[in-house]
Amino acid sequence: MIITSAKPLEEILEILKDEDDIFIIGCNVCAAKLKTGGEPEVLDMCRRLEEHGKHVLGWALPTAACSIRSYESLVEKNEKIKEAHCVLVMGCGSGVSATANVVDLPVYGSNNTLSLGGSSSGKLLSNQCIMCGDCTVGEFGGLCPKSQCPKGLLNGPCGGSVAGKCEVNREDDCIWALIYERLKKINRLDLLYVIHAPKEHAFK
Amino acid sequence: MLFNFREKLNSSKFLVTAEISPPKGTNVSAPLEDASQLKGLADALNVTDNQCSIMHMSSLAFSKLLLDEGHEVIMQLTCRDRNRIGLQSDLLGAYALGLRNVCVMTGDFPSCGDHPGSKPVYDLDSVQLLELVRKLDKGIDLAGNKLDGGTCFCMGAVSGINPQEVLQLIKLEKKVGCGADFIQTQAVYDVGMFEEFVESTAHLDVPILAGLIPLKSLRMAEYMNEHISGIHVPEEVLSRLKTASDPVEEGLSIASGTIKELTKLCRGVHIMPIGSHKNTPRLLSMAGISPK
Repeated sequence: MIITSAKPLEEILEILKDEDDIFIIGCNVCAAKLKTGGEPEVLDMCRRLEEHGKHVLGWALPTAACSIRSYESLVEKNEKIKEAHCVLVMGCGSGVSATANVVDLPVYGSNNTLSLGGSSSGKLLSNQCIMCGDCTVGEFGGLCPKSQCPKGLLNGPCGGSVAGKCEVNREDDCIWALIYERLKKINRLDLLYVIHAPKEHAFK
Repeated sequence: MLFNFREKLNSSKFLVTAEISPPKGTNVSAPLEDASQLKGLADALNVTDNQCSIMHMSSLAFSKLLLDEGHEVIMQLTCRDRNRIGLQSDLLGAYALGLRNVCVMTGDFPSCGDHPGSKPVYDLDSVQLLELVRKLDKGIDLAGNKLDGGTCFCMGAVSGINPQEVLQLIKLEKKVGCGADFIQTQAVYDVGMFEEFVESTAHLDVPILAGLIPLKSLRMAEYMNEHISGIHVPEEVLSRLKTASDPVEEGLSIASGTIKELTKLCRGVHIMPIGSHKNTPRLLSMAGISPK
């Protein structure tokens, strides 16, 4: 799941200050789950933009904003897009880009995209993966230090990690403390002694 | 006579290194003057690399200026601001300019400093950076390309001193495994804890220089306990500062006592005062360490 947060309305109004006749595209997967782009949020955005003098022509809710088949598929959902002067996408950054690939209009995003995360036992999990394209997560018991350590350290915690807490935010657990507990649980503490090579960051 | 830091590490001498920060600006007179007080006292000067993520003149440039003044220099290098290309390029440049000692570390996160929105790099971590330096020493770069002239660095790393922090000890073991020639530690106030640390790392057989930050007030000591990672100022030290009529003098007395005890436990001290080295010559004299 892509973790997003909604931009404040003031920022969205600033982005759209020279635009009108807006068409809104939501996202019925990640953004819907996070309440940043599902149907209730899209309807609320329509209302708030209208209250601020903007003309919203219509909206559509594809299954996933990042997976839009074609412009015609959007027209099938709502013909009003043909009259629009711009599109506001209430999904993640990938949803905005995917929409821009099929719509020849100015395309804007209403959310900030924060990380690739997930949820477990009702708890939102952020920064689960940085999509480095060179996955070695099994060597860390399944917990990725590249994504969950702010410094992405592969060979153990930095000197700022104290009593299992992170230097950058003392409220957060140091991922290395969690990796230690996990490896202990699966009887693989030997993996802590492995010297890990730098990641290969080739553009993929 | 001992000439360079590597030779000194191989001797039985109790070593003194001291930290100098490059200026925040282009006026180098104050830090050069500060360094000049340590001539004949310090075996080498560590030049910090944008310490605490606060932007300063580059460690490489200021290291060269100190070298020109006749100091033995240890250039610090963090993983925070440069990718593997930048790190290698600076290391080659440093070597060509005559710098022979480096001390590598991860580096504080940018949010700790004065440019909190800057992009953290950390392309390599400190263990990988040590491996990289050793490759340059062998005349090849990280990608395996042959260099037209390699390096021969005396290479240091850093460590916390809490023997209970198992992961930090394992990381230290990796650093030594990658060929670290010396270790400089976080500040020591609790000699008992440091002794345990030395015992738990005895198998690593690497020269350890214990960090030392002379305390100036009770407030400073309390701040260190609350905010500086890995530092533990024990109650006894806090109470000495609390009752002292002159806390700065008391701080020097505490630090000199610590140095005397450290001479029995490790290979040297690494002095990192807050502010200038104004009191460092007197501190060393109080600890019985005389100019060379």
